[in-house]
Amino acid sequence: MRHATSQRIEALPAPVQGIAQTILDWIPLGIVVVLWELVSGTVVAESILPPPTAVSSLLVELVVTGEVFSHLFISLFRIAVGLGLSILIGVLLGIGMARSDPVEDFFDIFLSMTYPIPKTALVPLAILWLGVGTETAILIVFLACLLPIVLNAYNAANDVNQSLVWAAQMMGTDERSMLYKVVFPATIPEIMTGVRQAVPIAFVALVSAELIASNQGIGYLILTSGQIGNYPRMFANIVIISAVAFVAVRGFEEVRNRVLVWT
Amino acid sequence: MDGRVTISELEKVYGEGPERTKAIEDLSFEVEGGEFVSVVGPSGCGKSTLLYLIAGFLDTTSGTIAVDDTPISGPGTDRGVVFQDYALFPWRTVFENVTYGLEENDIPKEERQSIAQKYIDLVDLDGFEDKYPKELSGGMKQRVGIARTLAYEPKILLMDEPFGALDQPLREALQDQLRDIWDDLGKTIVFITHDVEEAVYLSERVLIMTRHPGTRKSVAEIDLDRSRTREEIVTSDEFAQYKNSVWRSLHEETQTEVTL
Amino acid sequence: MDVTSETQSGFDLSRLVELGKSVYSLVIVLVLWELVGQFELIHYYFLPPLSDIILRFIELTLSGDMLYNAYLTLYRALVGLAIASVFGVLVGVLSARNDLVDWFFDPIIKIGYPVPIISLIPVFMLWFGIGDISKIIMVAVGTFWPVAVNARDSTQQVQQNLVWAAQMMGTSDRRLLRRVVFPAALPGIITGFQIAMPLSLIITFVFEMVAGGGGLGALEIQGVRSFQSTQTYAAIIAVMFIGIGLDRGLRLIRSRLLHWT
Repeated sequence: MRHATSQRIEALPAPVQGIAQTILDWIPLGIVVVLWELVSGTVVAESILPPPTAVSSLLVELVVTGEVFSHLFISLFRIAVGLGLSILIGVLLGIGMARSDPVEDFFDIFLSMTYPIPKTALVPLAILWLGVGTETAILIVFLACLLPIVLNAYNAANDVNQSLVWAAQMMGTDERSMLYKVVFPATIPEIMTGVRQAVPIAFVALVSAELIASNQGIGYLILTSGQIGNYPRMFANIVIISAVAFVAVRGFEEVRNRVLVWT
Repeated sequence: MDGRVTISELEKVYGEGPERTKAIEDLSFEVEGGEFVSVVGPSGCGKSTLLYLIAGFLDTTSGTIAVDDTPISGPGTDRGVVFQDYALFPWRTVFENVTYGLEENDIPKEERQSIAQKYIDLVDLDGFEDKYPKELSGGMKQRVGIARTLAYEPKILLMDEPFGALDQPLREALQDQLRDIWDDLGKTIVFITHDVEEAVYLSERVLIMTRHPGTRKSVAEIDLDRSRTREEIVTSDEFAQYKNSVWRSLHEETQTEVTL
Repeated sequence: MDVTSETQSGFDLSRLVELGKSVYSLVIVLVLWELVGQFELIHYYFLPPLSDIILRFIELTLSGDMLYNAYLTLYRALVGLAIASVFGVLVGVLSARNDLVDWFFDPIIKIGYPVPIISLIPVFMLWFGIGDISKIIMVAVGTFWPVAVNARDSTQQVQQNLVWAAQMMGTSDRRLLRRVVFPAALPGIITGFQIAMPLSLIITFVFEMVAGGGGLGALEIQGVRSFQSTQTYAAIIAVMFIGIGLDRGLRLIRSRLLHWT
């Protein structure tokens, strides 16, 4: 069937082809949305499942009036700081462990022990220490992203092509310069992959923290809209954070492609 | 049992629109039943494509391929393939890989055991029946590939540069083993290689393909007295002559390539 | 001098040193923890001494509370994961083999992927309440995606030569899936489970922390709210055991099942 339809698309003139293909790709979702609209208010109570029309008009309203922006900003700020710190420390730690045995011996056991623990389990502990608010959220995001990045950086540093190191050595590079002139640049592609993987993790961690331990942010908005019964608003906020997460991942991939011109 | 392969005006085109490439153009060739034929040609001439077309893995764009006058349609148990990358099932032991074809063809269990053992012994892998592919060297894996394909006794053997990834001594040993098997079983063999010496050493005829888009350039008849030892054959004058003539023909096709 | 016994003790000693090198940092931290707690260098609420925490852990275990809550959490996470596994593998493998299925599910998979599943917890609370069923369904929905995506990708990436080899030896299209495609895709499918497992725990914990209803997540939060920080720490230790246990368990299953890799 695929073959038949793709043949028919090929038959169309070039500019129309792209549009036709896009329409075809999105039909299943279109069907879902249409069903959603029909089911809401009829089969299922409107309060439980607000129709897409209500959600999208609210969405527009929220964006236009800027109500949601302060919360969105807080959420993004928390992710940026948490992720940023985890990249900074994670890369240093990972490369350090790969290049130096004593460093590895010291930290290895902590990493192996905490690896299987989902970091969101530490939210209550974070509340214990830092109370409710931005610090807690940042801490959770930081902890959740740290391990994947350390692991990636560690593997990347270990996988550095030995020939590159030897070439640098023969040209007179000492260990310190080796680290930032050879090892670090060689590991950047793999590290970026690790960061790419950490981004969705950061969002999950953020929302977790905001649902439990926050008075601000999109997660908090989702929770409270649900609690006061404003369901269209709840759905609208979910759409917002999902869209942001999607853009964040795509955006990062663009950045990665720009930065990694040599791969 | 014949195993005659008839290829008529074969054409294979990939892709559509601006990316359209013709891999094979107007190729006609016939392999007699029980014959050992090699196919050589410059890189990208479509040798492997030709093999996969005969095997039925790929569809022709036009032209026909027939086995004993019956046109083929898709893969079949009359044409067995030995792959360049072995294509062994990693989750099955050597023994289980060899019995796979027998299982698919409803051979009863006791018979499967004895047939599989026979072919495992034939390729000198007895003792390794319970090993997994991950535990084997390249040469051993290739031998399993050969045993597996022989076990369910297809009429025709199609071999895609089977010894390409192996080192010289191993390659020579396997070549000799293959000749012995061919002497024993008398199957039709179509053997793809880029190694001219290998083609001349092994086969009765060599099909030389032109460069892309590949078609039949010439066919060399190889008439060597193969009752001699390897060394005798390889150092003989006739061998050198055949080799040179095939090589020259092949070299003409690569002539226009950029030189460093 | 007996050379053999000297070599033997030398061997043991070096192994001991290796062990020491890998755990010394942990030991230092634990000792410091205990000391800091005992001398109340940090307020008791924030950092009780390790011994008190361990005591509380034993207390809760003996009273059955710890086991009961651990059981609740595990039950919710694993049942949800099991449901997601069945559907995920089905949809994933079929999407890779059948164009129609792929056309239908591909956009659904693409859209669902970036949604932080956690943000749907309030929605699920609305739709299914705050009980076990709600949590199980949430875990099932949340873990569906990594399982399905991994199943689909690993099925798609099965080497063409393996399929061709099977076909040339007489395998019908119907049998291909079971005989060749599935075993070849199995490593990737299991990787999907390994990714989904921690996710199932995350979803369960957060749901428990937000909605209550027992479980280790609820136990932790309760410790914070009732100013019994030892309870929170003790629950976290339980989480650690469970996390390590499940991870090891899954790895064992993987190496048994995939002994041929």
